[in-house]
Amino acid sequence: MDSTLVIVEKPQRWDARFDEQMSEADVDRLLTVPPFSVMNAEKFPRKLSVRDILYHDTSIKRYRKGEIVVRQGDYGTSAFMVMSGKVRVVLNPGLPASVLGRREPNRKGFFRSLAQLWSNAREPESFRHSQLKADARIVRQDEGDSAKVFLQDVPRILDEHKTAMIEHGEFFGEIAALSRMPRTATIFAEEDGAELLEIRWQGLRDLMRYDEALRTHIDQIYRERALATFLQSTPFFNGLAEDQRRWVVEKTEFATYGDYDWSGDYKRLAQTGTPGRADHESIIAQEGDYPDGVILIRAGFARLSQKFGHGHRTLNYLGAGQMYGFDEIAHNWRNPDSALPLQYTLRVIGYTHVLVIPTAIMETVVLPGIPERNLPPLITRKDDGAAKISKRDAASLIGPDLLEFLTENRFFNGTATMTIDLDRCTRCDDCVRACASTHNNNPRFLRHGLVSGNIMVANACMHCGDPVCMIGCPTGAIHRDAFEGQVIINPATCIGCKACFTNCPYDAIRMVEVRDEKGVIMVDQEMKPIIKATKCDLCVEQMGGPACERACPHGALARMNLNDLDAFAKWLKR
Amino acid sequence: MRFFARRRWFSVFALILLSSAAVLAHIHGSAIVPRFNYVTGWVLFAVILFLSIYNVRKKLPFLPLGSSESWLQFHVYAGLFTAVLFAVHVSFKVPTGWFEGTLAWLYGLVMISGLAGLFLSRAAPKRLTTFGGEVLFERIPAIRSALRKQAEALALTSIPQVQSTTIAEFYVRDLKDFFEGPRNFWLHLFQIRRPLGTLLNHITDLNRYLDEKERATLAQIAELVRQKDGLDYHYALQLVLKGWLFTHIPLTYSLLLLTLVHVVLVFAFSGGAR
Repeated sequence: MDSTLVIVEKPQRWDARFDEQMSEADVDRLLTVPPFSVMNAEKFPRKLSVRDILYHDTSIKRYRKGEIVVRQGDYGTSAFMVMSGKVRVVLNPGLPASVLGRREPNRKGFFRSLAQLWSNAREPESFRHSQLKADARIVRQDEGDSAKVFLQDVPRILDEHKTAMIEHGEFFGEIAALSRMPRTATIFAEEDGAELLEIRWQGLRDLMRYDEALRTHIDQIYRERALATFLQSTPFFNGLAEDQRRWVVEKTEFATYGDYDWSGDYKRLAQTGTPGRADHESIIAQEGDYPDGVILIRAGFARLSQKFGHGHRTLNYLGAGQMYGFDEIAHNWRNPDSALPLQYTLRVIGYTHVLVIPTAIMETVVLPGIPERNLPPLITRKDDGAAKISKRDAASLIGPDLLEFLTENRFFNGTATMTIDLDRCTRCDDCVRACASTHNNNPRFLRHGLVSGNIMVANACMHCGDPVCMIGCPTGAIHRDAFEGQVIINPATCIGCKACFTNCPYDAIRMVEVRDEKGVIMVDQEMKPIIKATKCDLCVEQMGGPACERACPHGALARMNLNDLDAFAKWLKR
Repeated sequence: MRFFARRRWFSVFALILLSSAAVLAHIHGSAIVPRFNYVTGWVLFAVILFLSIYNVRKKLPFLPLGSSESWLQFHVYAGLFTAVLFAVHVSFKVPTGWFEGTLAWLYGLVMISGLAGLFLSRAAPKRLTTFGGEVLFERIPAIRSALRKQAEALALTSIPQVQSTTIAEFYVRDLKDFFEGPRNFWLHLFQIRRPLGTLLNHITDLNRYLDEKERATLAQIAELVRQKDGLDYHYALQLVLKGWLFTHIPLTYSLLLLTLVHVVLVFAFSGGAR
């Protein structure tokens, strides 16, 4: 074996700056305005100074009248601060979907559905001109691969919708950036020259870490706007009295682990055939440690594992809304004399945003209010000291190999993953033909993909719980359906920038050259073909749900929510 | 009980119930209903017509007409029920006229092709999965061509490398034809693995005449042989899985056509029959 070492430069935190145009003069200017002017530089480590963070992680952007800064429902990884000019937020009920670049939900009726029998195009990717026409109330200006979208009639928007001014120095978008949740409102510039500071999430995280005022400020916003609502919808916390809930909210800590850009790393690893392995993942809480709080997964995913031999065996993966450490804390509260440490290890898969409710709060506020019958059963231990297999052990439901397969390949992200039972699939391609028939003769998936045992996960959009494809779409063309949440693309506003195509870790999005009704390739003014992103839309416009699933004669294909392993196990053992 | 098992038991129970009803009706019906064969004939025709509509359902995936899986279940058990109806209709006798005989034969062929399809669609997928190396049928010719090119290149590279034509000659003699196209169709269908074993034995035998470098090349060729054999296996089974419908559907349409003629003939010549 060749023993020569290959020396490569270690990836650094600031290998790529957020904005190459950001100058030292810009940073100097920023350091004269609050909150940066009042930040205590001595609190920051030498290698992570305020100046460095502003230089590498921020960008000063100027907006013109009507320009949309962020759209309601979009996912983003940066926050903004108003530096000058007028910026407005549209309050509920918000702007119509088409103004946000989205497709108005339009389910086909019986006759329009039937008409597909004879009206489907003969050429691939043919569109009627009307299908590619965006709402007249917005106008798009292309800038390289990106685009800016402007509201055409700002006074009318102000007249017809409730809006509020965002003051100078105010932050917005920080919750979406830090917790990877969709933006809750649309924000636009009311006049020319509005100047905003955009901070990517890594910079915001570091500023918060070392500046107490900013941390307290964002903490407070987060607790007020997001935390209380989340706890209200979480089992064991939704029954708390108002003052108890306030107390829990106040004491709850939150943290983000891993990397928002996990999809890029995952793609690289998948290409080398070594996707997500447990030993590469950082640990949130470790088996054997004292349980110092219940961990609630707010966004992203985490792997639950237990020591097995010299390695770790995956037992389950946890997604948004699921808890870790509750069983142990409830056990210890009832049996203080035989207190147990954490029984499992919790690891980050990609990135994970968690809330931690301290043990003391659980014991004094939450647990006393839960009826005995609703508490988890006491933890019993085997002879070797390990916890007995609990309901958390999904490996016993679907098999350890399949669980590792789903985890390593990040398939748990899918809420409508196309799973095919190869023991029943006759490879007849009725599913592909049905997909083509319902999409103007363009199949939107490939009946091929990774296989574990007799289960294939086909190459089709999984309509992810954490839709990385939706980050960075400049026009809002890729979005969630307002009613059922499918991730869909509006061809009228897609500019073919490939942001979603590049982001998707599962290669489920295709870029295609589009044609008109006559089958002629459409071109722009520079005679370059018009490119659009396409993918499975889960038959959002069709009657009766996904055609692929309904077309399978042998019940071999199902669109499964892989976050619900009970349902998946039931399907496997049907 | 699991879903599939529950469904199967329910369907079998319904089939037995309906079949018993049909036989009882045959025994007692003739006394109550004049021209009872007309009744069974029309029912049989209606069921066959409905069974053939399944193909139309497949062409309309955009309409909420129920899942294809439910249609197939109905198709299978209603298809089996037609056998009872057919027997009742011909009063459990073999038709003697040449037209009725042809019709009966055609019905039999439709039934046999249907049962064969059912058997294939239950058995072949498991075999393909167990074999592994999942491949799209349409991609097989391209992959086969790529394997052939790789094998040819390996056979040729050994000539300048070691100044010997042993592998190249062996390739021309024993492997060229194998890589040219799909091979051993019927043997793959019946799970007979002998041809691969024979080829690999030839390869092993050849090793004794080769030096170290050539052996390495031959090992790579042997791997390509295994891959090509796997491809042929998938080709054979997937072709049959896709192809049996090309027998079943034309036979069904022929049966429908002849049944229509049969109906016309029955009514045209039944004036005096009571």
